[in-house]
Amino acid sequence: MAIRLLGAGGAAPRWRLRAASVAEAWARTGGRGQVAVCPPDEDPLTLGWDAGSAALAAAGITADHVDALYWGTSRPPFAEGPSHAFCAAALGCSDHVAGALLSGSEHAGIDALLAAADAVAAGSSRIALVIASDARRPGPGSPFEARCGAGAAAVVLGASGGTAALGTRVTRSRPFVDRYRGDGEDDVRDLYDARLFREEIFVPVVAEVARALAAFDVQAWSIPDPDGRLGATVAKLVGHGAPESTSVYAAVGDTGAAAPLLGALGSFAAPGLVGVIGTGGGRTTGVLIDVETPVPGAARAVAALSGGEDVSYTSALRARGQLTPAGETIPMGVPPESALFVRGADEMLGLLGGRCVDCHTISTPPSIHPTCVACGGPKLEPVAIAREGQVHTYVVNYTMPAPFVAPLPIAVLDMDDGARLMLQVTGDGTDLAIGTRVELVLRKYAHERGVPVYGFKARPVRSPEEVTT
Amino acid sequence: MAWNRVAVVGAGLIKMGELFEQSYEQMAAGAFDAAVQSVDKGFEPAQVEAAFVATQRGTLWGQEGIGGNTIPTAIGLAGIPCTRIENACPSGSDAFRVGAMAVASGVHDVVLVIGVEKMRDKSTEEGLLSRAAAGHPIYTRGETAPVLFAPFATRHMHEFGTTREMLAAVAVKNHYNGARDPYAHFQNEITVDDVLASPPVCHPLHLLDCCPQTDGAAAVLLTSAERATEFTDAPVYVAGFGVATDHPYLHEKDSFIELKATRLAAQRAYAMAGVGPGDLDCAEVHDCFTITEILDIEDLGFVAKGDGGRATLDGETSLTGRIPVNTSGGLLAKGHPIGATGVAQLTECWWQLRGAAGERQVAMRNGYALQHNAGGRGSGVSVVNILTNHRDS
Repeated sequence: MAIRLLGAGGAAPRWRLRAASVAEAWARTGGRGQVAVCPPDEDPLTLGWDAGSAALAAAGITADHVDALYWGTSRPPFAEGPSHAFCAAALGCSDHVAGALLSGSEHAGIDALLAAADAVAAGSSRIALVIASDARRPGPGSPFEARCGAGAAAVVLGASGGTAALGTRVTRSRPFVDRYRGDGEDDVRDLYDARLFREEIFVPVVAEVARALAAFDVQAWSIPDPDGRLGATVAKLVGHGAPESTSVYAAVGDTGAAAPLLGALGSFAAPGLVGVIGTGGGRTTGVLIDVETPVPGAARAVAALSGGEDVSYTSALRARGQLTPAGETIPMGVPPESALFVRGADEMLGLLGGRCVDCHTISTPPSIHPTCVACGGPKLEPVAIAREGQVHTYVVNYTMPAPFVAPLPIAVLDMDDGARLMLQVTGDGTDLAIGTRVELVLRKYAHERGVPVYGFKARPVRSPEEVTT
Repeated sequence: MAWNRVAVVGAGLIKMGELFEQSYEQMAAGAFDAAVQSVDKGFEPAQVEAAFVATQRGTLWGQEGIGGNTIPTAIGLAGIPCTRIENACPSGSDAFRVGAMAVASGVHDVVLVIGVEKMRDKSTEEGLLSRAAAGHPIYTRGETAPVLFAPFATRHMHEFGTTREMLAAVAVKNHYNGARDPYAHFQNEITVDDVLASPPVCHPLHLLDCCPQTDGAAAVLLTSAERATEFTDAPVYVAGFGVATDHPYLHEKDSFIELKATRLAAQRAYAMAGVGPGDLDCAEVHDCFTITEILDIEDLGFVAKGDGGRATLDGETSLTGRIPVNTSGGLLAKGHPIGATGVAQLTECWWQLRGAAGERQVAMRNGYALQHNAGGRGSGVSVVNILTNHRDS
């Protein structure tokens, strides 16, 4: 059975950390390029949501039609817990959605793609959403740090339709240890010996997989590039110039489990056979994707990786939780395992409101509105709140206790369906004015005692001209 | 006709400030003593038949269990009935209203209303700012006190062209008045430039647009209009009062250019007192932030909607202006010990109506003064009390 690509999406956090900033902090010379790093409110779940939502929109499919969600990340937000369920709920998938969370190494992204493909081939899934996302936490001072990026890619798979097809795949398994993180460890350890890794492991194994795929007429490659040179080394061995994935690595760094698909998105925008290789955890897998006509969303996904704002090394460390203030932080008033979360799960991840059957006013959130906020009517029906609107008024809060990070913009929003919301806004507030158009995006509100809290924030909508510049 | 069934026969407060050296109980005793000493013809503490105490948030000093029974022991009157009133920032105003109703009902003849608040025993991060982490995990997260008022400033500036200089004029005026009030937390004058150059707290509000964190206590003694002359020849009467609520969350509000609860409470108070804003000689209004006073003077009917910034800049609310506002220095200079704030404002009105406000004394034409607080999550409650210095009007 054919496995078809119906749409694609990509995402990267908005922060960029220059390798030179990392080098300067450790009194080293050099440092080329940049990586994407997460602000405090982004992580593999929010990045995956961004990419997954974009892929579904590009495919013209609503989330409730997805019957399986396959998500690959080396760093699920809950080491053990409801990561997959939170992701599915925030995307708006039905509560019958199947699929799996694949993790354990950078190979997880390829694992998710192939598991979804197998489900479609087996007929157990009609529409499968594949998300590969990552934001690893490198050890401070390790060479890996200046290379470690963050990002997400997503594709929608189905048995028919679409503009591209998954084809041949090959895996080479060899039990070696490269970059890894032990149980109970927060930071990814760097290579034991970079030269040993390069010459004895990476190049022989990845080149073997690439040669197997190169038996076909591969026109574009996404090849792992852990140091900024190895991707080109492997491509040269199969008679290719710099792999097409090079520009993605240059824009956002090594995005771990997201890297194979993310590096291929640009190639999905033009006809031809694309070789996609992922490696990690002692396994290397390549898969061919035959692009007949441009995959919907692919070009836009690549554009989403450009731009971003430069941040300092200390900002990146603070956001990753590697630089923390002395003293106790202010505990969250409401622990995520509490009763309020039981009542509020729908309104936080699903963004529900209650519409008055009499006057049609939408009251939010439903859990605190037994009656209509406008007319006091007792009959409210649940509705999904519009995801776009405009700023009615706003503030930028500069004075908050740790772990809050100033400046924190907060806005009252007039949503397009008439609902009013008051939510935090992404960014620093300098792009806000009354009337600014916004869209709602999933973000992390807090992280305490190892538990993340997710909800929607408003993000100013950039015009198409701004996206391309 | 004004209501005038209840009279204020004594009022007093302690010097506001960061009172690390005084306990909650000591502050209460100080304010009670000041009120007792203020009674013209003498007053024995044992004459108090019942007390209403306003304390908004015991958690600010780690004592949420604080109850009505704390105060009688502190002031040497253990055994009397005493009830704590909590109604957000208007707690003190509302305790006064409830105390007046207790007298008017005939159940008690002499009632003490006392407001006490400890704002600084805990650090700012542990105390006031920690509300940023409280409440609904996404709808209220990051919501410190300025977040409840700054959105109104943004919108007011947008719709009416109100400027930061106009906001600053509120702080400049109130500090000028505070510099003439020996009970004020801050007794220094400031300039518009000082306000503009102060650090941002919550855009568009800067540090000097915000009231300080202040410990304090204030007390008033109420009795029936009939018995008032037993205590003084110059009683002040409760002409009327009004209370109103509004939706507590900001996103539930229709408008960000007015505080609806204030407008409704004022309508009720004016109707009960049989007067209008033009009859007032002065007012103590809730200026937790500069924008709040601009909203107040519009919603209380002193100026047209949208005109509050201009009117302030033009001096209409200064000590010698058309309607002097916050002659005590207001929350911005005198301070905002929450439960005590309303009672302290009423004390200022009592002084003004009796011609005892010293350097701050304003001209008395009609003998009416208004006192106002607004507060709660999103100014969800407002209380207005109107006092007068003559019984028949």
